[in-house]
Amino acid sequence: MGTRSPSQIAMRRIQSELADWLLDDRRPEGCQLESFEPLMSWVVVIEGPDAAPGMPKLYNGERFRLRVNFSDRYPLDPPEVYFIPPSPVHPHIYSNGHICLDILYDGDNGGWSPALTLGKVAISLRSMLASNTELKRPPGDQEYCARTCGRSPKQTRWEFEDDTV
Amino acid sequence: MRSAYAGNESPARAESSVGAISHQQNAETFTDGAESRPLQSVGDHSVGVSFADNTLRTSVNSVSAAVGDSVDEPTAEIVSSTPILGPNQGEEVSRPTDDQIIAQENSIRAAEAEKMPFVGTVEPLSALEEEYRQGSFVFREKIRSLEMQYGSMRRTRGDGNCFFRSFMFAFMEKLVQDNDLTERNRVVTCIRQWKAKLIAVGFQELVFEDAMEIVIDQLNSLGTTEPLNVAQLEANMRDAMLSPMIIMLLRMLTSAEIQRRSDFFAPFIMGMCDDEISVEQFCRRYVEPMGEESDHVHIVALTNALQVPIRVVYLDRSVGAAMAGVGYDSAAVNHHDFVPDALSESASAAAAAVKPRVHVLYRPGHYDILYPLPVTAADSTQIASC
Repeated sequence: MGTRSPSQIAMRRIQSELADWLLDDRRPEGCQLESFEPLMSWVVVIEGPDAAPGMPKLYNGERFRLRVNFSDRYPLDPPEVYFIPPSPVHPHIYSNGHICLDILYDGDNGGWSPALTLGKVAISLRSMLASNTELKRPPGDQEYCARTCGRSPKQTRWEFEDDTV
Repeated sequence: MRSAYAGNESPARAESSVGAISHQQNAETFTDGAESRPLQSVGDHSVGVSFADNTLRTSVNSVSAAVGDSVDEPTAEIVSSTPILGPNQGEEVSRPTDDQIIAQENSIRAAEAEKMPFVGTVEPLSALEEEYRQGSFVFREKIRSLEMQYGSMRRTRGDGNCFFRSFMFAFMEKLVQDNDLTERNRVVTCIRQWKAKLIAVGFQELVFEDAMEIVIDQLNSLGTTEPLNVAQLEANMRDAMLSPMIIMLLRMLTSAEIQRRSDFFAPFIMGMCDDEISVEQFCRRYVEPMGEESDHVHIVALTNALQVPIRVVYLDRSVGAAMAGVGYDSAAVNHHDFVPDALSESASAAAAAVKPRVHVLYRPGHYDILYPLPVTAADSTQIASC
């Protein structure tokens, strides 16, 4: 068998996912790929989802940009994912773009698995926006952003408990 | 209120949540890991290896303690589950930063990896005896009884993937040693057939194609001029990328098998989890992610997915009725044979005689590989009837 270096496995996988994103009918609804240069670092645009009937219109017509950095160990390690500010105002999204969503992180309480794809992540983020009912930031937003200035969200220890939004 | 938002917690509360880095509460209730572990801690030297979580938790707490914050029952905190969540950071200047904590965790992991590769080398069972020299009488007796059937063992790293890794290594090692092309052909066909079944339960082909190819490549090298040998298998299963890719495929097959037969598995899953959880959610959360520990459900699913019979030998404190100091049976080692449904059905009357292909040793929270002693003609009947 040919041995494969970590980055070869990662590159093949990222290229396969990219092929899906480049086909209109396979791309997640309401999402576009703005850039994939270099291949390990993408920008995805997520359109604010329409509000469900009877729900407040929170993000209709808005567009949010998502930075996605894949590592050499992708898909074993999750991609680094955050919104490029201005980020959507949401109880689980900090103003600096960091997102509290379990599938974005691995480790003890993370929910990432190699069976997930960036497409599934984007769908989850969009549904996180769709199910929100109140435009507010997480408590402690300012302090958190000041503390984590310039750092990756993967360096934060997250806790995930809210299944409702 | 236990969330760690900056600015709205008292120092002590904020600090407790630093310690509470563990699994969500239902993760603890049914994995065979963390919380059941203390059971075997006495005299078990491998605890430090297999119990990464505890090691980690302890050391994180000690970082906090070192900078002068109180740590009150961090893991107990997790029980009171309030909606909302947050980055686990408090506001105290004196607290260790997330960076420091993560750096410490990484160094612990690195140290552990050095101590214990993904798979170890073959060791005589006397190594196990040595490990429990100061341990309980029951354990020592059980090991002695284990030595009647098993000659050696191979340890695996306790990183939550130990069942899958032990299984795959032992299965492939036997194929390699026996150059068993019949079984190889069978399992390659079986894995190829999983492609359609994985897709049917919702896996995208791109998430498993590479891992599947890696596994099939290795199997297919048997019978060629450059077949996989045990040394190469060891190297592959110790490789930082190949080893997890192989495990990743097994996890997906296990997940797909559970989802395909969700009516069968649902009652077991409901019995394991406190919260209501669908079969699909269970697979997403406790089967597919790397490092999630394996329970009976996982083993039943995998044995059926690949049609490979597995024997799990339990080395724990459980003792039979004879515990009250009577008789030899107190040292009997329990085992459980996981027999693929198709094999047990087709073999009908001979079902009990389906020979396990893979033997693993289970100690609470951890699996290692066991190697049976060669069976002589004289005692083969005895073994078959046990």
